[in-house]
Amino acid sequence: MKFSYNWIRESIPGLEEPAALVERLITMRTAECEGVEATGQLLAEAVVARVEQVEPIEGSHNVKAVVDASALGRRTVVCGAKNCRAGLLTVYVPVGVKVVSGVESDGMLASGAELGINNDHEGIVELGSADDLKGCAPDFVIEIDNKSITHRPDLWGHHGMAREVAAILNFPLTDPAKLELLPEGPAAIQVSIDDLELCPRYSALVFENVTVQPSPLWLQNRLTAIGLNPINNIVDMTNFVMAELAQPMHAFDAGLLQGGTIFVRSAKAGESFRALNGETYTLEPANLVIADAGGAIALAGVIGGADSSIGGTTKRVVLESANFQASSVRKTSAALKLRTDASMRFEKAQDPVNTVRALARAVELLREVSPGVRLVGGVADVRREPVAPPAIEFSHAWLERKLGRTIEPERVRRILESLAFGVSEPSSGEYSVTVPSWRATKDVSMKDDLVEEVGRMVGYDSIEPKAPLVAAVVPPGSPSRRYQHEVRDLFTGNGYTEVYNYSFLSEEAVRAFGFDLAGHIRVLNPIASNQELMRASLLPGIWKNVTENAKHRESFRLFEIGLEIHRRAEGLPEEVPHLAVAVYHREGEGGIFELKRMAECLMPGAKAVPVAARSYEHPARAAEIEWHGAVVGRLFELHPRLVEVGRAAVLDLDLKLVEALNSAKVKYTPIRRYPSSAFDLSVIAPLREHAVNLETAIGGFAGPLLESVQFVRQYAGAPLAEGMKSVSFRLTVGSAERTLSSDEIAAVRAAIIEGMRGKGYDLRV
Amino acid sequence: MIEESIQELAARSLARIAAADTAEALEAVRVDAVGRKGALAEISKGMGKLSPEERKRIGQVLNAAKQQLEGALDARKQEFDEAALRARLDAEWVDLTLPAPGVGRGHLHPITRIQRELEELFISLGFTVLDGPEVETEYYNFDALNIPPDHPARDMQDTFWLDGGNLLRTHTSPVQVRGMERLGPPLRMIAPGRVFRNESVDASHEHTFYQLEGMMIDRDVSVAHLLYFMKTLLTEIFKKPVTVRLRPGYFPFVEPGFELDIQCLICGGPGCPVCKHSGWVELLPCGLVNPNVLRTSGIDPDEWGGFAFGLGLTRLVMMRYGIDDIRHLQGGDLRFLEQF
Repeated sequence: MKFSYNWIRESIPGLEEPAALVERLITMRTAECEGVEATGQLLAEAVVARVEQVEPIEGSHNVKAVVDASALGRRTVVCGAKNCRAGLLTVYVPVGVKVVSGVESDGMLASGAELGINNDHEGIVELGSADDLKGCAPDFVIEIDNKSITHRPDLWGHHGMAREVAAILNFPLTDPAKLELLPEGPAAIQVSIDDLELCPRYSALVFENVTVQPSPLWLQNRLTAIGLNPINNIVDMTNFVMAELAQPMHAFDAGLLQGGTIFVRSAKAGESFRALNGETYTLEPANLVIADAGGAIALAGVIGGADSSIGGTTKRVVLESANFQASSVRKTSAALKLRTDASMRFEKAQDPVNTVRALARAVELLREVSPGVRLVGGVADVRREPVAPPAIEFSHAWLERKLGRTIEPERVRRILESLAFGVSEPSSGEYSVTVPSWRATKDVSMKDDLVEEVGRMVGYDSIEPKAPLVAAVVPPGSPSRRYQHEVRDLFTGNGYTEVYNYSFLSEEAVRAFGFDLAGHIRVLNPIASNQELMRASLLPGIWKNVTENAKHRESFRLFEIGLEIHRRAEGLPEEVPHLAVAVYHREGEGGIFELKRMAECLMPGAKAVPVAARSYEHPARAAEIEWHGAVVGRLFELHPRLVEVGRAAVLDLDLKLVEALNSAKVKYTPIRRYPSSAFDLSVIAPLREHAVNLETAIGGFAGPLLESVQFVRQYAGAPLAEGMKSVSFRLTVGSAERTLSSDEIAAVRAAIIEGMRGKGYDLRV
Repeated sequence: MIEESIQELAARSLARIAAADTAEALEAVRVDAVGRKGALAEISKGMGKLSPEERKRIGQVLNAAKQQLEGALDARKQEFDEAALRARLDAEWVDLTLPAPGVGRGHLHPITRIQRELEELFISLGFTVLDGPEVETEYYNFDALNIPPDHPARDMQDTFWLDGGNLLRTHTSPVQVRGMERLGPPLRMIAPGRVFRNESVDASHEHTFYQLEGMMIDRDVSVAHLLYFMKTLLTEIFKKPVTVRLRPGYFPFVEPGFELDIQCLICGGPGCPVCKHSGWVELLPCGLVNPNVLRTSGIDPDEWGGFAFGLGLTRLVMMRYGIDDIRHLQGGDLRFLEQF
């Protein structure tokens, strides 16, 4: 929202502080300013001038004009405007001498746009009289961040901001609305409201003998400064009142209305409405409309209708100044994707008291912008009986405890009163505070709200930081977080770099992995069509990391810890922390065994159990990882279809499960006093026999003296038969009670050999 | 006579020891002189013919000569050993400027680094670290935080809506409510985590970023306490004293609500491009917990009060490392990640 500093100053007589200072004060006490911008700076030296003589310049579309520039005397300027003609009363600005089209031009004749009065840059300003330029002045526009005034309906108008500035600087504030201007007597139009919840107040006035014409320049100047387009005097007047008092208004051409009653009702299902913006909307009962006997003439609080709008022939006007329920306006505006200056204000919960104040201001302005205008009848005003909000009570001690500083009771009262709160005399440290109507709609309703009022005005910078006195307690731990940090340390310590991937996936990526689309939660309003699913696996993200980084690197290691999000029949989805790790090598056999080692480091005793590969896995290089009897994840190489060059080994673990299994306690066993003995055995087995099967079988025959079986090496080739391999193991045997005799060791060895031969394995002994 | 030949032998052998230029030559001397069949042994054989007195005297001479020769042999042998060791060690020269084989250290994501730093800081201040779901209900993300449906404050956070009626949390604030419900007062907690806003991505905007929510609930928590914690926190984060200021800010879940600015760390106040010439940088929203939020979470606002703040973790990481493009953080490019 843009604020004109000139406009603010109009309500604060005597205020001469620089705009930059006021901007800073507003930021520190009220709302965030996004900057100050000087506008209409040419107006500082502009004077009214009459064009006396115009001569063409050969070879140029410009003309040479001699002007009588009031006090500045006679000047010769080169002007390119088509409307530059002798006799024209316009605006001259002494910007210095320069040569244009070969002619010395002293100063310039200015257009409305150049002066910042309006957006007209078609030609130079045409004045009716020398007084027309009055009230046009250079200005500073202070821009306030809309988000910071979401809770302040009153700050959507200049008067509300002026009240803040006056309170901050301790100036008196004048009120632009003069209620005594409102006419008495029966209204010339009837108002019928179906639901006073949706429309707590509807006030209206009828004017006749209206002349629709451009607004005076001062009014155009004001609207232009704050970014509104001047349209005509009637529409501009309503916009002016809105920008000043935060009360949106609408003017209907009374000649185009049917019947003498304005209805405020819910739209009929399918009711059609043509709005001022030229669009036609199909309405629903959730949309509140303003209607005449013929149908909807406005979308309540959002936009007027095209069929009753002010035009050149308008003579009689119905001026609406109403109050609508914030959430109803917001819903309609959101449903129709139609945000207007009016809806933006109403959705902040405007003050119903304001409707007639705005009408009073309109009466004053209309008399100026449309001379000869006549009021018809009194004010039509239908409303819900207002209920004064209860006074807010709190103790001085409580206020000081909240702020964390001391403050004199008198100062509290002064601050609150400067913001128009009513404060009962503080008796024995208790306050009773009444809230002004424009702060009572939503903004201020409890004592904590008043802590803010006092705090911001006394200045938060006056509060000294203070350490709280709190019990020294050990905070509850965060075991999962701690465990995940340990996992990160293990992997970074072994050369793996952590990546973060998005939680969104494309359908294409999900299909590439053959995942079930239905198991994925869908984003209803995705940023892009390739980000419409929530990831139910980290693998597509890791795959992308692999293919992207493979463009720059011959080998690399990376991992991610992130959440898989799985749809559940009801309630929130299941969010499962996963660890996904990848090793990529452009050359060689790949890093799948390195990943197996990492899995074993993380989960001592974990096993890789070969299983049927999934579609994205290398068909001959895929295993489940088992730990403490549970399947905790998978180890595989990405299918060569997914990785053009090189090999990418991947480990994918359910970290929640791994963490749960990790809690096994550590128990000490004494180191054996008697030496162990070791011997090697080689088993001849088919090439694709899993070594772990041989190891298990050997262990089974070894008996209780066996300490360990360790794979040593395997070999295939001559002199072994085709399709066979020799797998060597080192067996360690021992006893806690004694050193084994060579006979005992030989017996173990013989038992294994016999057992294995019994199973059909040949041994190389 | 014998005595002379012993001395002559000793002198000759010492000369040979000194002259030996290999371990083998030295060994030959040892065998010749003091070996079991060497010259000294030969001489001692002839001692039987001597008188007991003579035998004793010559025996002493013989022993002295033997000791002298063995000492000289050992000393000389040690010289050879040392020379051999020196030669071996010298031959083992390696070029230590060659790169070390094997895999280098991996790198934590910069957000993880800063997040851990902050977790440790807050734990040391008696805060617990909580987690909440990334997919949230409308209730926890908005309603319970005093942002009812059709409230314009919902516009402040562009929301990703999911089928099934849930949404992606737009802030870590829902964890406040979950924390209060689960642990009750008094409470000191932080909740770092991933949040989502429906925004187009460019160098300074992301739809996915990280926040760190913090909250303290206790008796009589004041603005002064909030200021104390924020100053302590920021001094630790930036590793130097920071000047902070509070100004009014509107967030429905706090009342009063603040925007906390720090004095620009680049220019120190006079103004520069980083602080847009204001001397201050907006850093985090905070405030005293709105009594409605306490009540919704089952805490009596007449008994308890608190403060809450939301730190933009992603923004902090970018400030700390001078990262100029937010998209790097979720880009997965090792050329970026390996810098941390």
